[in-house]
Amino acid sequence: MDATAIQSRLREEFGARVGVAVRSAKRLYASVDAADLPEVVRWLRASLPGCRLATSTGIDLREGIGLYHHFVVNGSPLVITLKALLAKPEPHAPTLATETAAADWIEREIHDLLGVRFDGHPDERRLLKDASMAGELPLRRDFDPVQFKERIGERPEF
Amino acid sequence: MSDPSSRHVVQIGPFHPLLEEPVGFSLTVEGERVVAIDARMDYIHKGLERLAQERTYDMVPILLERICGICSVTHSVCFCNAVEDLLGVEIPPRAAYIRTIIGELERLHSHLLWVGLAGHFIGYNTVFMWAWKYREPVCDAFEMLTGHRQNSALPLVGGVRRDLPVEYFPVVRKTLDELEGQTERLTAAVLDDPVLAARLKGVGVLSAEAALDYGVVGPTARASGLATDVRRDEPYAAYAELDWKVVTQDGGDVFSKAVVRLLEILESIRILRQCLDRLPAGAINLGTLHVPRGEGIGRYEAPRGEDIHYVRSNGTNMPERLKVRAPSYVNIPSFRSSCLGAPMADVMITLAACDPCYSCTERSLVLRDAAGARLLATPGLIEASRQKTFELARALGHAPDLELDPA
Repeated sequence: MDATAIQSRLREEFGARVGVAVRSAKRLYASVDAADLPEVVRWLRASLPGCRLATSTGIDLREGIGLYHHFVVNGSPLVITLKALLAKPEPHAPTLATETAAADWIEREIHDLLGVRFDGHPDERRLLKDASMAGELPLRRDFDPVQFKERIGERPEF
Repeated sequence: MSDPSSRHVVQIGPFHPLLEEPVGFSLTVEGERVVAIDARMDYIHKGLERLAQERTYDMVPILLERICGICSVTHSVCFCNAVEDLLGVEIPPRAAYIRTIIGELERLHSHLLWVGLAGHFIGYNTVFMWAWKYREPVCDAFEMLTGHRQNSALPLVGGVRRDLPVEYFPVVRKTLDELEGQTERLTAAVLDDPVLAARLKGVGVLSAEAALDYGVVGPTARASGLATDVRRDEPYAAYAELDWKVVTQDGGDVFSKAVVRLLEILESIRILRQCLDRLPAGAINLGTLHVPRGEGIGRYEAPRGEDIHYVRSNGTNMPERLKVRAPSYVNIPSFRSSCLGAPMADVMITLAACDPCYSCTERSLVLRDAAGARLLATPGLIEASRQKTFELARALGHAPDLELDPA
């Protein structure tokens, strides 16, 4: 299936719940309600053989936290990005770790760095952040490295 | 057999003689069998994604070369692929070939590094000595072409920063000719060795289904029968114009992963010869580019598998967000599938089989003073090192068995 075929299949299957944009033959972006993510992901993995979660991006936007899941189909140039917008101040989304093992670490990482809760994630321990940063969200826009260093007793170098 | 009262937890790392980088593995064992495995990763998070948001598009590739001690071309070219996807531009043909040349040299020295380490981990140090001896001339070739054996500082959004010195191509060709014979001999020796077959076949098997579920990439996926290779799936640089093939194996075990890497060395040599022969003339970059608002995704086949970067621009000269996902990030968690139920003794080589990233960038050949005069070469450096050891030993009061050779 190429990008436009996937676009029409997604429209057939989910109607107005998924907003699809084909940017090029290799890149497809689809905006999805966070609650619909597991259903869309199950459909993607069942309909496209060799489809895997490559990674996810969390991004602090003015209107909320953007959660982008990037899916790759083995053997094809296509990258399918599912975009969900999570409302602040307590952003949360259903976990994909119960759908595919590839989501496990990346969701823990986004939880570490941006404070997104993944409902139903089997393992919510810290993954990448140092213990001294346990209460910090370093990829949020309001994170101030200078204040953080002062708080933990290190002299800021910049 | 599975008596929970006999469970023990064995800690490997975070600091361990066999792990050059800090990472902690907890193995829960029942007798000899591993029943649970957990990894702890939070020792060396460097905050590079945030740092990249404070650098201009010209500076980011230089920063990203420092993500990994081996894959320096990988991350910088992957970032350029992502920004070029955002811009919708094609780079000049000469730049595409130059990116291919440095990328394949990197793959050669990275695969040889792994072959050596794998030999070392199973106590087969002859393989270690051979592979690392063959690796040195490849790093020298990289240094000849770029000025440094690891960090080339060549990739730039829209092309490459500098041209390659074509006068060194004959030396690189000679290196490749020698390496081809050496790799063929090494591959034949490994494939025919009954001890290696007994040690590695059927060990640490990752099934094709598990490989897809964990989303593993690169040789780890190709050894489980998944024919995925970004160089063929989404050709970047010059790969679409070159003649080469994707190597796959069906075993999913450590032996298959070793075979995939050894055969890929030979494929890389083929790719490099074609690039050196056909390097087109012309511009090497697109000049200054303005990056408008938008987003782009770049993929790159690193020695360890698919690297993927997401870039979002808000129209300024710095990326608003850069997401980096290195191949080891998806390959390492697959240990849970490949190690469970295995005996303790097989776990080390299984952990090493996906080539978790190690850094090795230290080296000194010749020491010069500020004016450029040669102070010490290799024998002198070794002598100075022995002298220092001797002095330290004498200071500690056990000199007798460390007496320096009077000659």
